[in-house]
Amino acid sequence: MNNQKEYFHAIKIVKENCTGCTKCVRVCITEALRVRNGKVELLNDRCIDCGKCVQVCPFNAIQTSADKLSTISKFKYKIAILSSSFAGQFSQKINYRAAKKAILQIGFDEIAEESMVTEVISSFIHDYVKRHPKIRPIISSKCPAIVRLIQVRFPSLLPNVIHLEAPMSALAYYFREKVRKEKKIAPENIGIFLIVPCAAQVTATHQPEGTYKNLGDGAISAQDIFREVMGKLQKKEETEKECDVFPKGLTWAISQLEAEQINSEQRERARTMAVSGIHNANKVLIKIENQQLETFDYIVMDNCTNGCVGGIFNIEDPFVASSRIKDMIRKGATKEFQTEYFQNLYHDGKMDVLELKPRPITALDSSIKNAINKMKQIDEIIKKLPGLDCSACGSPTCRALAEDIVAGKASIDDCIVLMRRNRQGKKL
Amino acid sequence: MIMSEFWYYRESKEPEAKKFMENKPEPDYDLSYSIGERDFVNTGKASSEIKLALKRLGVDNTILRRVAIAVYEAEINVTAHSRGGNIIANIYDNCVHVVFKDNGPGMKDINQSMEPGFSTADEMIREMGFGAGLGLPNIKKNADVLHIESQEGANTFLELVIFYE
Ligand SMILES: Nc1ncnc2c1ncn2[C@@H]1O[C@H](COP(=O)(O)OP(=O)(O)OP(=O)(O)O)[C@@H](O)[C@H]1O
Ligand code: SF4
Ligand code: SF4
Ligand SMILES: [Mg+2]
Repeated sequence: MNNQKEYFHAIKIVKENCTGCTKCVRVCITEALRVRNGKVELLNDRCIDCGKCVQVCPFNAIQTSADKLSTISKFKYKIAILSSSFAGQFSQKINYRAAKKAILQIGFDEIAEESMVTEVISSFIHDYVKRHPKIRPIISSKCPAIVRLIQVRFPSLLPNVIHLEAPMSALAYYFREKVRKEKKIAPENIGIFLIVPCAAQVTATHQPEGTYKNLGDGAISAQDIFREVMGKLQKKEETEKECDVFPKGLTWAISQLEAEQINSEQRERARTMAVSGIHNANKVLIKIENQQLETFDYIVMDNCTNGCVGGIFNIEDPFVASSRIKDMIRKGATKEFQTEYFQNLYHDGKMDVLELKPRPITALDSSIKNAINKMKQIDEIIKKLPGLDCSACGSPTCRALAEDIVAGKASIDDCIVLMRRNRQGKKL
Repeated sequence: MIMSEFWYYRESKEPEAKKFMENKPEPDYDLSYSIGERDFVNTGKASSEIKLALKRLGVDNTILRRVAIAVYEAEINVTAHSRGGNIIANIYDNCVHVVFKDNGPGMKDINQSMEPGFSTADEMIREMGFGAGLGLPNIKKNADVLHIESQEGANTFLELVIFYE
């Protein structure tokens, strides 16, 4: 019943590589993977594109699909918008400004970065939090994997998700207008590409939920860009074009700093907290659902370790990258970027986002009567199963297998432990 | 010592609620939990699981929220103010009926306990973040039926009903 809608995913399965080991099945927070007939399957309505399965698969049987750099050639004027975490990928020897400049040599006409607007957007968040005193805590919406986790597992918390554009999406809006006006280029000829740290942002670019509504031209993996840039830097080719950096705004690469930025000196203190890692986020969301965290005003929640610095497309270890970014923030000079323009956007409601709809997966049936019957059948099956949650059957837990059996998608004979016990029983 | 009693019916639900309370049919499904005195580590489990069961049935989010709040507050009260007890959730296809029975010491005056801001919470309970005296009023706000019986020196019985529509 929940399968009617087609969801875009930046996760793809390469069946030939799968050995049926079930490692991925066990890490998936939404129970979106099953091994059936020895091969892994993705349940389209459950996957939130967090990328955990990609990270644990030892056989490269689950891969990500971002847009290729070559897709930018479809557009006359090409703009790259960098995630803040990108700045942490380069060692001390390579100057970030030089690395950023090299992006102009791989085909882009202009580069922007998230860090240009994180301060102004933090001020909007602060204002939004103040204007919604009845909703506590308010939850950040920048991480698409977290937004989707809330849609599928915690739909009752959708009103808590901040309905405000993410920095990269706001920048896309700004640049599309600017280039159209200044260079007289039709909007359809302007290609705006995100350089992203993760599969979730690829998905958000192609199928926005709430935020990220201004994008859609494409999302290129930070890893691909890193490789190209290193190539250019090694060849020591230089360009005359100049580009600016915005180190003070790199805060959004790290969940903790993103949360602290809400409380910059001139603002009234809000009670904030930062959570990173999908399993940690899940635990905190349960607490929020139980009204145990209402004393917090704003919670930054990110899928990856430490925040976007932990994104799967990043090259550098998240802890090393965090340390470098913190250094850049500390040493960097404050630089304003079109603050007034974005303030006007905010006040005109152009930073508002699409309504977030639930994608519930928990209901067992569309009729409550049938669902009660299924719940009883599931309980009966669970009583028979060994309760080891070993995943050898291909379902993540014994309960999940019982649910799959009742949904007609698996059989009790899939339980290897039971089968073995039965066989031994017969021998006796 | 006199037994005191408190009854509340939400006006819009009164006819069907009264019929339900008179008949108390066999539940379609039930869940039960026991609660330890001051066991703040495990408290919250019953309300989470009852909510999850209703989520599996496809009960609407706004109702889930009300069930979660009401059951959680009552669960905390048994944990914080009594010597422990048990919870039974009777699940039907149109409503949920949750019963809390504890092992005392009971309340002096239920009507006083129902007053927003009234609390006998001690230092430890306040330290845990409870004791504003808003739990019972909050239960009433979210329930379609609330019935409490209590006697000082004896025990407290609390039942609530929430309809799905
Ligand atoms: N199960 C119970 N047994 C004995 N006394 C109770 C019980 N439940 C509530 N009370 C009494 O009623 C008072 C008010 O309860 P209520 O839930 O409204 O507030 P609280 O528990 O004190 O604080 P809060 O719920 O805001 O954390 C309690 O302080 C306690 O004296
Ligand atoms: S990307 Fe995340 S949600 Fe999707 S299948 Fe993999 S682990 Fe599960
Ligand atoms: S926290 Fe991870 S998944 Fe979420 S937006 Fe950042 S890099 Fe992407
Ligand atoms: Mg209370």
